[in-house]
Amino acid sequence: MQLETIRQLPEYAALTRARKKIMWPLSLATIAAYFALILTIAFHPTTLGTPIGNGVTTIGMVLGLGIILFCMLITGIYVYYANRVLEPLTQAIVKKAGGKQ
Amino acid sequence: MKYNAPVALILSAMATCAWAQASSEKSVNVIAIVMFLAFVAVTLGITWWAARRTKTASDFYAAGGGITGFQNGLAIAGDYMSAASFLGIAGLVYTSGFDGLIYAIGFLVGWPIVLVLIAEPLRNLGKYTFADVASFRLQQKPIRILAASGSLVTVIFYLIAQMVGAGKLIELLFGLPYEAAVVIVGVLMTLYVTFGGMIATTWVQLIKAILLLSGASLMAFLVMLQFGFSFENLFAEAVKVHAKANAIMAPGTLVSDPISAISLGIALMFGTAGLPHILMRFFTVKDAVQARRSVFYATGFIGYFYILTFIIGFGAIILLLKNPAYFTDGALIGGANMAAIHLSQALGGDVLLGFISAVAFATILAVVSGLTLAGSSAISHDLYATLVLKGARDEKKEIRASRIATICLGVIAVLLGIVFEKQNVAFMVGLAFCVAASANFPILLLSMYWRKLTTRGAVIGGGLGLFTAVILVVIGPTVWVDTFGNATAIFPYKYPAIFSVSIAFIGIWFFSITDKSAAAASEQAAFDAQFVRSQTGIGAAEASQH
Repeated sequence: MQLETIRQLPEYAALTRARKKIMWPLSLATIAAYFALILTIAFHPTTLGTPIGNGVTTIGMVLGLGIILFCMLITGIYVYYANRVLEPLTQAIVKKAGGKQ
Repeated sequence: MKYNAPVALILSAMATCAWAQASSEKSVNVIAIVMFLAFVAVTLGITWWAARRTKTASDFYAAGGGITGFQNGLAIAGDYMSAASFLGIAGLVYTSGFDGLIYAIGFLVGWPIVLVLIAEPLRNLGKYTFADVASFRLQQKPIRILAASGSLVTVIFYLIAQMVGAGKLIELLFGLPYEAAVVIVGVLMTLYVTFGGMIATTWVQLIKAILLLSGASLMAFLVMLQFGFSFENLFAEAVKVHAKANAIMAPGTLVSDPISAISLGIALMFGTAGLPHILMRFFTVKDAVQARRSVFYATGFIGYFYILTFIIGFGAIILLLKNPAYFTDGALIGGANMAAIHLSQALGGDVLLGFISAVAFATILAVVSGLTLAGSSAISHDLYATLVLKGARDEKKEIRASRIATICLGVIAVLLGIVFEKQNVAFMVGLAFCVAASANFPILLLSMYWRKLTTRGAVIGGGLGLFTAVILVVIGPTVWVDTFGNATAIFPYKYPAIFSVSIAFIGIWFFSITDKSAAAASEQAAFDAQFVRSQTGIGAAEASQH
């Protein structure tokens, strides 16, 4: 099957659309979360040193460890979405293209 | 079997040195030496096994594409969790608390980007190196020369940092002379890579990753056990003991001005997506699905590992600062980077100390092997195959070139390790990330996603990024002042990424859109076909079959 024909497939359009839908939000969410922390460190470090309640644990510590967990969550969301949405579309395209992948 | 003689020679030489030292100095840990020798024996056994399975170029560069997503995730984590990041981040947390966390986060946040933007198209388009992807629809020769230069600069800086760290660590732990330690590391990594290629390098990485994760988990568990598994209790005790008190819970002096903070952030985040030894790992799996799975596992392991390192750093504050035995003249023996090592003794006596020391050594060996393989692939697959073989495929010659390149890189690494012994090399990992973010990452990203990219744009923009990153570090405070001893730096910031990455992107953009040549038009026209393959993997499968 010609490349032009693959590009005409409705599944191909759906795949590129579905990928865009997940790619940019997740990338931007990661970049935003990280640079929010970096910019706070740069311009307003004292905020991060504020303790939570009466303890010694600060907002910075919670946010810092939170971003580590957030990164794991982002990769989890992407893999879940990719397996549920992107993979079936890809398989359909490969099948229609007639080749084994 | 032909390399049994050198192997036996090294083992006996090491054993002799270690024992000789052990008898003269009681501080040398026998458990560490036995465990380390066991690691070397097992990994050389694996190398022998892998050597018999390494027949084609695909075996040598990409382990024949036969690594599973889970294994590759662990191997990627292994490549990334260097001794520098284990001992360095634990040491940084020990000295300044929160600042250590800033680095740990920076090293992790690149991973979601690698997963979402890079991993799958990279696997679908490339074969053995990221230059395959960058040059997919552009002119082979200039792009491969540039990509190989970016790879080699990154690998060499990274390698120097690891070699010097290795020499110092082994000198301290095993009582070996610095030069001998560097030579042992150089010889072992050359053996792994030359004979066992990617198969051996991957298995060495897997074993080391499991050892490191188990060792760090045990240490963090023992620390948390003392504080009822409560971070609040851990922090409260650390604040009481540490000289900086509550200041360790907030950003400190590590990143003081906004430009440096943002610049460091850019280098760490986007540098990850441009490290050649990491990118190379995506070609060891079967397809894009496994590539995706690899990053998911890798991110989990790396994130978990940094949380452990963070706990270990805080554990070190509490358990070491109260114990004068770990200090001479008020300073931690061996410097802050030894915090994790001392803590292992405080937690589990000589047994745990021996285990963690051996693990630290294994970590160094595994990481330098991965770096060396990436460097030698850039030389053989990108430079030699394009410039000397001129694109005529000859796998045998290419593998031979790669093996020769590995031996040369081994020699260079040992020599540079010895030359830089007395220098502060901590900045070199930062420089490696900065170069990766300023040259490799922009070319790779735009080649995959930006239709208008042309050879001219990629070469000029990428070249400017590479050049700017290196020059600004040289005339910045870390090299100009700290290494060359000048009074003030010409360029005031420690981390130049904000400038060099911007210059790379702007350069690539400008010199691409103004490129009106016929070649440029056909490169842009080739984007659609490339995009179909990058999105669906159609046409990619034969890359891993042989």
